[in-house]
Amino acid sequence: MCGIVGYIGDKKAQPILLNSLGKLEYRGYDSCGIAIADGGIEIYKDIVRVKALTETLTPHNGRTGIGHTRWATHGEPSKINAHPHSDCKGRIAVVHNGTINNFMKLREKLAAEGHHLASETDTEVIPHLIEKYYDGDFEKAVLLAVRELEGAYTMIAMMAGESKIIAARKESPLIIGIGDRENFIASDVPALLDYTSRVIYLEDDDIAVLTAGDVKIKQNGNAIKREEHKISWSMADAQKGGYEHFMLKEIHEQPKVIRDTLTEYLSNPEPVVQLAGVKGSSLENIVILGCGTSYHAGMVGKYIIESLLDVPVRVELADEFSYSGQSSPGSQAIVITQSGETRDVLKAIQRLKSKGSRIIAITNVVGSTVTRVADRVIYTRAGPEISVAATKTFIAELISLYWLALPYAKVDAARLDKLVLQIRQLPVKVQQILDNEDEIADFAKKLAGFENVFYIGKGINYPVALEGALKLKEISYIHAEGYAAGELKHGPFALLGEKTPVVAVVTQDETYEPTVTSIKEIKARHSPVIALVGEDDDVTKDLADYVIKVPRVDPLFSPVVNSVALQLLAYFVAEERGCPIDFPRNLAKSVTVE
Amino acid sequence: MKQAVILAAGEGQRLRPFTVTRPKAMISIADKPILQYIIESLAQVGIRHIVLVVGYRKEQVFDYFGSGEKLGVNISYVTQAQQLGTAHALKQVKDIVKDEFLVLPGDNLIEASTIAEFTEIKPSAVLVKRVSDPVRYGVVNIQRGKVTGIVEKPKEAGSNLVNTGIYAFSKEVFDYIENELDIPDVLNNMLKEGNSLKAVETGGTWLDVVYPWDVINLNNAILQNIEVGLGGTIEDGVVIKGKVIVEEGTVIRAGSCIYGPVVIGKGCDIGPHVCVMPSTSIGDNVVLASFTQIKNSVIGDDVNIGPGCFISDSVIDNGCVIKGRFTALGGPSEIVVNAEHPSINIGVIMGEDCKIESSVTARPGVIVGNHCQVQHMKLISTCLPDNSLVF
Repeated sequence: MCGIVGYIGDKKAQPILLNSLGKLEYRGYDSCGIAIADGGIEIYKDIVRVKALTETLTPHNGRTGIGHTRWATHGEPSKINAHPHSDCKGRIAVVHNGTINNFMKLREKLAAEGHHLASETDTEVIPHLIEKYYDGDFEKAVLLAVRELEGAYTMIAMMAGESKIIAARKESPLIIGIGDRENFIASDVPALLDYTSRVIYLEDDDIAVLTAGDVKIKQNGNAIKREEHKISWSMADAQKGGYEHFMLKEIHEQPKVIRDTLTEYLSNPEPVVQLAGVKGSSLENIVILGCGTSYHAGMVGKYIIESLLDVPVRVELADEFSYSGQSSPGSQAIVITQSGETRDVLKAIQRLKSKGSRIIAITNVVGSTVTRVADRVIYTRAGPEISVAATKTFIAELISLYWLALPYAKVDAARLDKLVLQIRQLPVKVQQILDNEDEIADFAKKLAGFENVFYIGKGINYPVALEGALKLKEISYIHAEGYAAGELKHGPFALLGEKTPVVAVVTQDETYEPTVTSIKEIKARHSPVIALVGEDDDVTKDLADYVIKVPRVDPLFSPVVNSVALQLLAYFVAEERGCPIDFPRNLAKSVTVE
Repeated sequence: MKQAVILAAGEGQRLRPFTVTRPKAMISIADKPILQYIIESLAQVGIRHIVLVVGYRKEQVFDYFGSGEKLGVNISYVTQAQQLGTAHALKQVKDIVKDEFLVLPGDNLIEASTIAEFTEIKPSAVLVKRVSDPVRYGVVNIQRGKVTGIVEKPKEAGSNLVNTGIYAFSKEVFDYIENELDIPDVLNNMLKEGNSLKAVETGGTWLDVVYPWDVINLNNAILQNIEVGLGGTIEDGVVIKGKVIVEEGTVIRAGSCIYGPVVIGKGCDIGPHVCVMPSTSIGDNVVLASFTQIKNSVIGDDVNIGPGCFISDSVIDNGCVIKGRFTALGGPSEIVVNAEHPSINIGVIMGEDCKIESSVTARPGVIVGNHCQVQHMKLISTCLPDNSLVF
């Protein structure tokens, strides 16, 4: 999925294009670019997000332009592959959303006719085809070029010296925004909303010619009239697919994300990547690095790998790792970064490399920087995540870690069968939590009135307590701290009381009894306790003030179900408190600075 | 007409256990929710602006369809908090729809050909279909192409033409909705005031799901028209005959036979030596172990079926885990639902997330609720409510 935009009018195109592209980032953000005409055509593109591109650009006075933001599903994002693309002479620029099926054939033909194609993309054939057919009539050239294309070719083209932009729609959406002495075009309504509420939806096979004062639409060469619509607010929210916030939408995507991520790994006969020592030597230890939520995923990874593989694992914050002692980090390193661009992780990789560690990267963004510096890459199939608070990418990271470890598990065949069966059942277990989210919303109402909350967990669910607390503080601005259940008595007890509730994650494994004991100790200090327990746990309900039940799964997989429940808890608390959930203050989605 | 309103808020109580966690419109037939067929049909006839009225378990609709992008349509959602009736549902979209629009039920199976001509008509109009048992439906009385009245479930039907719940309206319709809860009452109001209402007959597909076992018949009907598509990995020694769809990421292991029409979803692990016989749909992420045979059945997502099972004329919903040697064969059975007891020929109807241990047999026609657990060697001879334990 990609997003494309176009502008023609009496204002400077650059800020309008960049703002519109920013609104389309939910469609992807691994690279972006714009082309602006002012006499000749100038193209600015890079493998960065729109905001970063905005910061590097010098102001341009052109009043006509097009833009693109990309999400690669296959093939590497690179500066040369980024859109817009142009023809041999650099007089035509094109942005495109879709896949051209016959591009290989067209490419060969164009190359044979002497065209020079610089990138590996299918898109690049379009400007060259337009160039080929251009005989003074831009519109005719586009029409002839489009006739040669097979597949999804929704695109916008512009040409130096022409005071018009031309768009064609096939399979991907394209919407024209009507302004006063200016016109707009974009993949989706939100890109237009800052400028106009009058839109025309193009249909397949439509070709639209936009000038500053006019919009003409043709199909099969005949002019047709398309109805103009007035946008209501509900349509502007369409990208949230019915939900009020991206965060809740993304929480709800998790069963599908787990299924897609698993399908990707299961359908591959070979293990995704191999865990091994250097040059085939045995695996003696592993170091896992990450920041924020990814660090918490790494901590769960420690428990997964240590319990299945019996190999010692050290988890460190990527930034701290760069400054800790300079001893050898170990033969095998796993780095986790959702964006693949986290500065602290990339910096830590330099040290790993200098010490000769083999690096496996887990990331959600195809072709991001980390994928170029790591030895092996595991992709999570979570899709673009818009909400600043990570949810689905955290769960996808956990699934990757399970799948990384399972092929090497030193467990008997019956246990392995059970684990594989259970991991396949996770989508349905997570769905059950979502189906019962109203209950969690009720608990959230109770929690929303407090200003300090502790989260406790033990064993594999200790990192889940940290992550639960992180979610709450990120989006609800309640001060929340995650603690290992046994650590609470070493200090934090001083803070407990009626005004400091504790969320306790209770797991049905060897940590059960000690966690129950911790809850009793907490109750003795009069803190309200919300316990997160397995559905068949009948003991904890007599101790805790409130009980959130989650489906029973093997303790190894309990971080998945518990995390989803805590995500919902944080979400509904923030909603109750009226917080700007998707874009909390002072936070950015990926941190590319130190 | 470029805009359609689909009413998808209804629960479908008679379809329990399948509608405990999803609205009726989200019941899956041949690996797609019913609602998807309607949206695809609308897209095919060029209607891409769709307003979905949602209510009961609306998140399921949001999660599956989102903004409609994957189906090439633009969906906006309107919530009907209480599902009081179709006219009440329609009233919710008053401020969103433009001059003329179609209204369709979200829980009937409709093909593009059914509505192709109807989309050209000027409001107000109702699409009717000729059926053999009209007394179950709203019978439409017609004179010279104009409707004279609609009678819901009459004792004696004056005609064989029934209301499909598909209408073409202009915004005027909202003038006739006051406290009426159902659209036929609104139509009768319009007629009383002297408005004319056209009736258009269709010969296209229009199927309703009323009872859980209707899923089996509808699945069979839809599968007849699928187009072959083999993705995934198909090992040597697999026999595939007839129309079969296997989606990406699925592995069909050696010695398995797939006799179409059959649909198998994404990321499944089938075989070795599994027989999937005609008129079977299998969801995503399903495991079928060796020597299992499945016939004329619908299997949901994330289902795991052990070795040596025989399942026919059955529906197994999402996330069930069935250990080896489970038997559920179709046979004549009589089920009482809401004091109606039609005679049918089915195997088992099993809700979500059931856990069935090895060597269990289900008597024909039993309905097993959601989240049931059945221990080894048991005979399921009566219907089990949700969360039952059999031990």
